[in-house]
Amino acid sequence: MKFVQATLLPLLLFLGSIVSLSQTQSAPAAAEAVQVTGLTGVKENTKGTLTVENGTLTFATSKSSCDVSAASIQDVVTGTDSQRVIRGTVGTLTMLAPYGGGRAISLLRNKIDTITIQYRDSNGGLHGAVFTMPVGKAELIKESLLAQGAHTSIPSKEDSTADPTQQSEAKEQLR
Amino acid sequence: MKTIKTATLLWTLIAGLSAAPLLYAQADPVAKSPSSAIEVEMIQPGEISLPAEFQVALYENLVQQLQKEGGFSQVYRDGDRNATDASDLVILHTAVTGFKKGSELERNLTTVGGATSITVHCKFTDREGKVLLERDIDGKVRFFGDNLKATNDIAKKVANVATRI
Repeated sequence: MKFVQATLLPLLLFLGSIVSLSQTQSAPAAAEAVQVTGLTGVKENTKGTLTVENGTLTFATSKSSCDVSAASIQDVVTGTDSQRVIRGTVGTLTMLAPYGGGRAISLLRNKIDTITIQYRDSNGGLHGAVFTMPVGKAELIKESLLAQGAHTSIPSKEDSTADPTQQSEAKEQLR
Repeated sequence: MKTIKTATLLWTLIAGLSAAPLLYAQADPVAKSPSSAIEVEMIQPGEISLPAEFQVALYENLVQQLQKEGGFSQVYRDGDRNATDASDLVILHTAVTGFKKGSELERNLTTVGGATSITVHCKFTDREGKVLLERDIDGKVRFFGDNLKATNDIAKKVANVATRI
């Protein structure tokens, strides 16, 4: 009986420590995203992966990556939009399809989330960047950024649907 | 023979006269801004409910277009500490005075409706706040492209105006 107790007690302690560790080390927030504009050294409308980890927002593509410190981010705002499923040059060419086919194709749209950040570089210069990503991802990225030191003019999701004049007032207060 | 000569001369004369203004226009260089540096301040939405992505896209496009076509050797961002040492600094203040978010879907379907338009009031000042130039500028996206393209349209126009300071 004593042997069983002696075996179970360390085992319980070990399992407990694993559980507590797994709770403190949250997985990094990540999403497939498109950088619409803003990041230095990254072309507009570039696809990549947006990750928030160790106090840094990283946008990585197959060719390069760009890091922004979460602490330097003075505003994070999320939004929703929609975009054509077929975009770019092919999307433009489909507009020429006969019998209104192009217009019918333009009806095919998917909803997207947008996330807009404003941050300062080492010289104090203000930068902005806009990303689009699949629905539901922007809030996760925003919450992760806020947890790691970023600031926002619109604290919660509920407030983002509030009157836009209230949003601008909040921004004024931030400035 | 004489008729042919006259006709040839006449056509040469007409061609020469019509080409003269074009040549003159090419000889006249584009007016370049005498100022060496400009600081772009963040866009002020004011009373207009401008979505954050439009505000940021407009600011970034302004910085890019002024670097490309503004005629300034240095373009500083809002708050850049290096701007304090710059001589002959021009500061660009931009306030949004009108915004209508259109619909890309409506533009594609109707070809006449759904245009996105933004109107801004641009004020170029010197460091002391003396106004050098003021303009109301509007940007639109009427048919092709997403709504944010209106910000690119405005930025190009502002950069063009900046060359006249």
